[in-house]
Amino acid sequence: MNPLPVTDADLDAYVDGQLLPSRVAAVEDALVRDPALAASVADARRRNADLRDALDPWLAEPIPDRLLAAASGPTTGPSARSPETMRRWLVPLTAVVATLMVGLGAGWFARDMQLERAGTPTTFTRQAALTHALYAADANRPVEVWAPEEKRLVAWLSKRLGFPVSAPDLNSTGFALVGGRLVAGHQNPTALFMYENADKQRLSLQVRKQPVDGGEVAFRYALENGVGVFYWIEDNCSYALSGNVDRAQLLAVGRVVYGQLAALEASVAK
Amino acid sequence: MADVAAPPPLPQPDLLAAIPRLRRYARVLTGDTNRADDLVQDTLARAWEKRRLWAAGSDLRAWLFTIMHNVFVNQRALARREKLHVSLDDGGEGHEAWQIPVRATQYARVELTELMEHVGRLPVDQREVLLLAAVEELRYEEIAVVLAIPVGTVMSRLSRARAKLRNAFADAPAGAGGLKVVK
Repeated sequence: MNPLPVTDADLDAYVDGQLLPSRVAAVEDALVRDPALAASVADARRRNADLRDALDPWLAEPIPDRLLAAASGPTTGPSARSPETMRRWLVPLTAVVATLMVGLGAGWFARDMQLERAGTPTTFTRQAALTHALYAADANRPVEVWAPEEKRLVAWLSKRLGFPVSAPDLNSTGFALVGGRLVAGHQNPTALFMYENADKQRLSLQVRKQPVDGGEVAFRYALENGVGVFYWIEDNCSYALSGNVDRAQLLAVGRVVYGQLAALEASVAK
Repeated sequence: MADVAAPPPLPQPDLLAAIPRLRRYARVLTGDTNRADDLVQDTLARAWEKRRLWAAGSDLRAWLFTIMHNVFVNQRALARREKLHVSLDDGGEGHEAWQIPVRATQYARVELTELMEHVGRLPVDQREVLLLAAVEELRYEEIAVVLAIPVGTVMSRLSRARAKLRNAFADAPAGAGGLKVVK
C-alpha cells in the first residue's frame, strides 16, 4: 500500500505536533529516507523553540495600569492612551473626546469619586480583587519578597507605606505566608501579603493608608468578578482580604487577621 | 449597578491571565510596543462590549485573539483610507514596520536577535500565523477561526513564513550566523 506523498503541509503539521496520527508513519518514513528533509524539519522545530525563547520573556513584563483598568469591566468614558498615540489621534478626535468626557466619562469618574468620598471604598475592593487575581494566578512569582525574608519584607513595606505593617500569622487557619509585595494603590501605595494553604488556594491581605478619614467600617463583604473580598477600615487603614474561597472560610480568616491586628495594636499602646 | 439587562461579566482571572498573551500578539501585529498596548486596550473594551457573544466555558484566549485580529484589521483599513486624504503622517509606510527594539529584550543568544529581525520582515499575515501556531500553539483549525480564513490558507501562510525564515538564515553571511551550522 502506497501512502500519499508527503507534502509541505504534512511537514509543518509534523513540526507543530498537529499531524494526524495516520500520517505520522508516512512522514517519519520520508524523513529517514531523506536526510535533507530531516534536517529541515529539525531546523523548523529548533526555530519554534527559538521563537518561544525570544517571545516568552515578554509575558513576564508588568501589565500597565490602563490595561488592568480595561480588563476590569466595560468602559464608558475615554481611557488613557500611550503618549505617542495621543499625539497621533489628538487633532481629529478632540471634539469626540471632549463630548465623551463631558457626557459619559465624567459621570463614571464622578461616581467613583463620590463613592470614595462617601467612605464606601468600592474602588479599593475592586482593585484588591484585581490585584489578587493577578498575582495569585502567578505560579512562579506571586510575590516580590518571599516568606523566609519576612523581616526584610515587613521593614521594606513599612518604610514604603509610611507606617508599621506586619504580616499576620494565619497558620491556625491552614494558610502559610508566601511573601509579599508593594502594589500601586488608588492614592497611596498598598502592601500585599500572600498566603497559601495545602490545597494551593491563595489569599492575599492588602493594607494601605486611607486617603481621607473614613472612620471605622466593620467587616464588609464584596464579590468582585468571582473573587471574594472582605474589607474593613480601622485606624485610618483599609484592609482587604481577597481569595477564591467561600465566604465563610474567608470570614474565618478575616477574623483571625482582625484579632491579631487588634492584639498588636493593644501591645503597642501599652 | 443593578443593571438587570447586563450580560454576566467575563471571568476576571482568565481575562487577566490573557493580557500578557494579548500584548505579545499585539506586538507581533503592530511591531510597536505603544501601539500594541493601545490595541490590547481597544480589544479589552470591545470584549466587554461584546461579552454576550462569548460562549462561557469556551477558550477565552482564542476569543480575545479573534477580537484583537478584527480590531487590528479594521484600524488598519481605516488608517489606509485616511492616508489617501492626509499625507502628513510621520511614519511613512511604517504602519507595519517592525519597530520593536531588539535592544529592549537583551537576548543571551545572538540567533534570537537575528531571528526577531527576520520575523519582523515577514508580512504581518505570516507573522501572526507563525505566532499563533509556533508560539501560542493553537491548532490550525483554531487559527482559521481566529483569522476567519480557511485552514488551507493558514497552512500556506505558515509554510511561506517558514520558507522565508529558512532562506533568511541560509543567506546570512557566514560571519554573522555561521556558527550555528557547526554541530
